[in-house]
Amino acid sequence: MSALGMEGSEEAQTPSGEALSLPWDRFSSWLHCICVVGFDLELGQTVEAMYPSHAKLTDKEKTSICYLSFPDSNSGCLGDTQFCFRFRQSTGRKSSLHCVLDQVDRDSPVYLKKDPSCFYGYVYFRQVRDKTLKRGYFQKSLVLISKLPYINFFHTVVKQIAPEYFERNDPCLEAACSDIDRWPAPVPGKTLHLPIMGLVVKVRIPTKHDKPGTTQLVDMTQQTDAHISVALPTIHEVDLFRCFSPVFFHIQLLWELVLLGEPLVVMAPSPSQSSETVLALVGCISPLKYCSDFRPYFTIHDSEFKEYTTRTQAPPSVIFGVTNPFFAKTLQHWPHIIRIGDVKLAGDVPKQVKVKKLKTLKTLDSKPGVYSSYKPYLNKDEEIIKQLQKGIQQKRPTEAQNAILRRHFLELTQSFIIPLERYVASLMPLLKSISAWKSPPQPKPFSQEEFMKTLEKTGPQLTSRLKGDWIGLYRHFLRSPNFDGWFRSRRKEMMQKLEALQLEALCNEDLLIWVQKHTEVESVDLVLKLKNKLAFAQREHLPVGVDTLQKLQGQVDTIIQELPEDLREILLKTNSS
Amino acid sequence: MSVLPPVRRDRIVADLPQCFKKEACLHTRDSFHSKVTSACKQQRTGTVGFRISKVIVVGDLSVGKTCMINRFCKDVFDKNYKATIGVDFEMERFEILGVPFSLQLWDTAGQERFKCIASTYYRGAQAIIVTFDLSNISSLEHTKQWLQDALKENDPSSVLLFLVGSKKDLISPSQYALMEQDAIKVAKEMQAEYWSVSSLTGENVKEFFFRVASLTFEASVLAELEKTNARKIGEVVRINSNDRNLYQSSKKNKQKCCQ
Repeated sequence: MSALGMEGSEEAQTPSGEALSLPWDRFSSWLHCICVVGFDLELGQTVEAMYPSHAKLTDKEKTSICYLSFPDSNSGCLGDTQFCFRFRQSTGRKSSLHCVLDQVDRDSPVYLKKDPSCFYGYVYFRQVRDKTLKRGYFQKSLVLISKLPYINFFHTVVKQIAPEYFERNDPCLEAACSDIDRWPAPVPGKTLHLPIMGLVVKVRIPTKHDKPGTTQLVDMTQQTDAHISVALPTIHEVDLFRCFSPVFFHIQLLWELVLLGEPLVVMAPSPSQSSETVLALVGCISPLKYCSDFRPYFTIHDSEFKEYTTRTQAPPSVIFGVTNPFFAKTLQHWPHIIRIGDVKLAGDVPKQVKVKKLKTLKTLDSKPGVYSSYKPYLNKDEEIIKQLQKGIQQKRPTEAQNAILRRHFLELTQSFIIPLERYVASLMPLLKSISAWKSPPQPKPFSQEEFMKTLEKTGPQLTSRLKGDWIGLYRHFLRSPNFDGWFRSRRKEMMQKLEALQLEALCNEDLLIWVQKHTEVESVDLVLKLKNKLAFAQREHLPVGVDTLQKLQGQVDTIIQELPEDLREILLKTNSS
Repeated sequence: MSVLPPVRRDRIVADLPQCFKKEACLHTRDSFHSKVTSACKQQRTGTVGFRISKVIVVGDLSVGKTCMINRFCKDVFDKNYKATIGVDFEMERFEILGVPFSLQLWDTAGQERFKCIASTYYRGAQAIIVTFDLSNISSLEHTKQWLQDALKENDPSSVLLFLVGSKKDLISPSQYALMEQDAIKVAKEMQAEYWSVSSLTGENVKEFFFRVASLTFEASVLAELEKTNARKIGEVVRINSNDRNLYQSSKKNKQKCCQ
């Protein structure tokens, strides 16, 4: 029985059977590094320590981490604060991750895949009075840097490490890293037990085959074991209800804005509120992936600050979370602004409020609310609002409120996306058009008009009771980055499927008969082509069965045996290009 | 839904494993407590459901804590010494009296450098295994200090203690006899159960961990039974029929796993 996993010695192996044996391999399948950011009287914020020490960060990345790890306004975050940020990795950085992990990544749902161009920072910031220090305050952040968007999971992990670190210093981080370096890789579909600083965190890594909206991890342990073992029902989801509660009359509008990739800024009193709200926004269109840039916490020091706030161009498709009052001025030309006030007491029933005109947002102390001149395409869903309001009055637990809201968004997104899925599926060429001897046919191009025609009979009205201008919403969506990203990945899937079907067709041909009827040159050509196809299938992880690949490999070997000896030797040695 | 593979055949416990030395043991009963046996027989889920216990292993640098655990969990012995950084962790699954049971084994570092963080790892332990090297008398002398530190983070009245001498293969029978006398004395003082093992030959290693698992399991079930009895008196559970719908999906799942 192996250390951590449930499935014996297999845990120590990658899907391909290689052992993940080098030190830090396991660590880097979860984290890039752990940074300690402190405040130096002369230098300002600095990275005081980094684990593992060989981890590489460019100066620019370090600067980003420094600024993003501290609150950037005098919001007073006294005590401990947790939040999350996301920043662009420097260009030209080589992928530092173990190549096998990309295989692991392949079965992840789109919204949980490793971010190819960005890092996430999961921060635990402590600010307490300390008379022994020159500034009178202890101010420090512990930050986990990762490519994985496992927000809820890393939130739990950093909360477990940071308070211990602030008390006991370096050996603590050394031990934490050593704990993490023993974790099995985050293979989708696996339930893992991950020990960290005396606690075992039980998680299940979702796969793209999971049915959306179902919780896959059932905790069977007794509650009394909570101090030695915690089970996280989700690794990535934030509490939508809590995050949206300051603006929950506008959830319909916000969902549309996110779906359409509209420029959106969240102005909040603290980084934890700004980051939570941004992550909730990005997550509300799940299982659709939000394809534009988003920054749960963005500061004026960010390297993209100028690029994103310039007034010479229209605001980009980005969602920002900011706390610095300066942004109220810099971003006042932005079309959609969410302003969040200080946290209200729980149980407070928010009053119905109107979307505010943008003009009114000029001063720093504008009232909380949503500022936009956007007119939603769909009518407001009064029922969900009523249901949630009733829940507040009845003091329904926030987990239940969250589940209701999450389900609402899921149904809405699915109602919206199903007609598109259906139409795109019809773009697949017919099975009979696939031939062993021709390259696979291309999927038909996406035609907006054709698609719109399908809406009449099989539109969202089949699954959603919401009325409104669905057609207008689709037209707008088809121009958005989210559609582009979604369609690209669907098209790639289709191409792979077609490649796979063609391989299967080849596999079912008797190639030996073909070879006997053709010249030697043609046979050699066939062998080389087949070898290339096999290599491609493996490299691109085409959805073909192992038996198909083996059968085809067998065919290749048989053909080679049929050829003269000198050729045989060469062909056996030749690797596909 | 997490599907656990069946527990290994050689990790199934039907009878209480016996102690090593009657002079220094936690109890001398030859079978599980009757309350525990009957509770397990009835399979009162909720009372005797799937459970986990945390065990910490402490002791001087290089007395062989990691080797002992590796012998038991992986049935291997590595002659090379590799210092533990912070903590090693193993999870071992048993089936005791027909009930699944997991032991979390936290193997802490013996190095001075890591002592400051140890308390983080000590928290919530149900059993403490204090280890010493039978060929090194000073490591036995240090066990009291180790125990004291480990107990700071735990409730001394509810935690089970074991004192284990390792590397039995390194010393002669006469040397061992002398050492054992001292060790039993120490074990009695700390109210721990004494064992001696050899990770090299495997002598007593399995027996020892089975005893740890069984006694921890027994104590944990007894504690739970006591708690549920206390709760039954005077406490009423109210279920609001409207609220139930909200949890329908999660409830369904729960039922499935408890069947």
